[in-house]
Amino acid sequence: MRRLSAVSAEAAKLGLYVGQKATDAMALVPELTTAEAEPEADAVALTALVDWCVRFSPAVAADRPDGLFLDISGVAHLFGGEAELMADFRDRLAANGLTFRLALADTPGAAWALAHFGRDGTIAPPNGQAELMAPLPPAALRLEPEAAAQIERLGLRRLGQLMDIPRAPLGRRFGAHTLDRLDQALGRSAEALTFRRPPTPWMARLAFFEPISAPEDMARVTEDVTAKLCARLEAEGHGGRRFEIAFHRVDGKALSLAVGLSLAGRDARRIARLFQPKLETVDPGFGVESVTIAAYAVEPVGGRQIRIDARLNAAVEDGLAPLVDRLANRLGPTAIWRAAPAESHVPELAVSRDPALGAPETEARPWDREAPRPVRLFQRPEPLEQVVALMPDDPPVQFRWRGRLHRVRRAEGPERIGEEWWKADIGDVSVVHVRDYYRVEDAEGGRFWLFRAGLYNGGEPARWWLHGLFA
Amino acid sequence: MSGFRATRLAALAAQIDAIQTGGRADVGVLPFGDARIDACLPGEGLPLGRWHEITGAGLEAETSAAPAAFAALTASPLARKGEAVWVMRRDDLWAPGLAGLGFPPERLIQVCARDEAETLAVMEDALATVGVTAVFGEVEAVDLTAGRRLQLACEKRGATGFVIKRRPFGGTAKAEAAGSVSATRWRIASAPSEPPLGEFGLGSPRFRVTLERCRGGRLGEWILEADRAYSWEAADVAHPLRLVADLGDRELAPASERRAA
Repeated sequence: MRRLSAVSAEAAKLGLYVGQKATDAMALVPELTTAEAEPEADAVALTALVDWCVRFSPAVAADRPDGLFLDISGVAHLFGGEAELMADFRDRLAANGLTFRLALADTPGAAWALAHFGRDGTIAPPNGQAELMAPLPPAALRLEPEAAAQIERLGLRRLGQLMDIPRAPLGRRFGAHTLDRLDQALGRSAEALTFRRPPTPWMARLAFFEPISAPEDMARVTEDVTAKLCARLEAEGHGGRRFEIAFHRVDGKALSLAVGLSLAGRDARRIARLFQPKLETVDPGFGVESVTIAAYAVEPVGGRQIRIDARLNAAVEDGLAPLVDRLANRLGPTAIWRAAPAESHVPELAVSRDPALGAPETEARPWDREAPRPVRLFQRPEPLEQVVALMPDDPPVQFRWRGRLHRVRRAEGPERIGEEWWKADIGDVSVVHVRDYYRVEDAEGGRFWLFRAGLYNGGEPARWWLHGLFA
Repeated sequence: MSGFRATRLAALAAQIDAIQTGGRADVGVLPFGDARIDACLPGEGLPLGRWHEITGAGLEAETSAAPAAFAALTASPLARKGEAVWVMRRDDLWAPGLAGLGFPPERLIQVCARDEAETLAVMEDALATVGVTAVFGEVEAVDLTAGRRLQLACEKRGATGFVIKRRPFGGTAKAEAAGSVSATRWRIASAPSEPPLGEFGLGSPRFRVTLERCRGGRLGEWILEADRAYSWEAADVAHPLRLVADLGDRELAPASERRAA
């Protein structure tokens, strides 16, 4: 059966309502125009709207199917106040042709109640949500329709009545969920919203009278907005490790770029320079009307003295940190690393790639310097051909690798490296994974790290592999 | 009056010096610690604040194990004084092997670049960074312009560059660039090791080292040995390479002499 899933204001005036049978509605209003409901498209549109809202605050949470929460703690002053922020929000939403209701309150619950059942555009004063919510119906508590109907059947038609009931009987009669919702709305208990991106109070914004699009303007506003944020970080003794800049275009799209730092920092020029090479990927379209930047992973950073002699005892944040950041942002964070020991006997697992700077102190034992190990290790061992070994456990006397025959002059080994059986299921452990490593030198002096896979097995010929090259 | 003239002359001489050295202070040399090698090099040691070319012979032009090890061994006294950066396109460099040779792997930042030009750009960037003393780069060829740029980057902070010439596997040799502004060019091949008498297995790693090009110095050919490799003292020696035989006359030294040295 087809039902109405949403009605316009005009339709509502004619007595149509959500959930009405489509045939009934057509009978009431023969000239009714209907369109198929598309919940997926609605969800996508809501996500786009959430992304767009980042221009107002970095903390936006979608309230599916048709609402969203905007956490404006600490950002209202950027717009001149809560009322101004809401007016700006209203204008821009209206310009996009959306129908909406707005409310602003201390808690998400109260804001939801006021937006859905109160007067559009209500701004609840701090701690003033209880009075404003008192005349609203119980459904304003974001309850299941049945629960709300149950409460209303018992004669409690306003939230004010519900608030007057002592907590214990209220919880007993209507369930803990109702009590929770009431507490959340009144700010007596906290509510966790799922923000589209982690909220950060570290944000700066620049708006322009005229939309900009020239590349040099984009570069300049990047510097300006970064400087604005960094001045705040500097004043409060903090630094960020990730910065995200968003260019808000006139057509409502927001394009964002992100850079990361290896050590928390707040050097505006350095950060702006990391954005510089990526700016050309931003298509300004018909113009960019505002730009926001947010800092993430913000942590306290000690101030540092400008040194008198910069040539002596160079500090990490002077040279190395900017270098690592430039490289990591240009080549990708996995392209730059410092090798650190990892506790494993298996050669390919003995090295872990730590970040180049700021890696935690490793607890793994350092590599054994007395065990000869190659300088080049192949990620995949290469198969050897024409391997001749006199005895099953002897090193080879000759082998062919990459089409060249090598005659072994000296050899050392075997060094048996087994599988890490304690990490695997006992049933999977087998001698097939045992490797006997030999260090051999050919007549010209080339030194190789070879291994024979598995134990000697009378019938089958042994398989030999080259794993690395020595100095 | 004469005192005034003398100070004035000294000041002018210092100015000329500064112009000649491009405004940088003389960063010195890194001696090998053996007069037979150091005598060939200008200033009695490997010039620092310059870049050096290291090529491999034969198969080593592709695998580049001996050239990489020679570069790491030569630069390990530098790496202990600051940070080192190794730029490569194939990430087969293995830190445990470097640690065994006495190179401090905890001082090494490894960077994987996508192409030749990027490798050189990263090298340049790293050379000009405060606190970086040695930069290694694995590239196929360095043309004249790239070489100049590397040299300018070296002069900025006095860091030393090591360009390890390496062909991609299965690639054909590129024509060698006509001119080069590197301070020295070395050709490295591994040489058969000599274990101590009465012992089995392999001896310490040996290299056949040819100094093919050296600005303001002489050329030579030697057999060098990293005699403390794979021991706990590997990191404690002043210079990890020891001269075993002088092949300066390009004739193979008799085996007995090699052992005695």
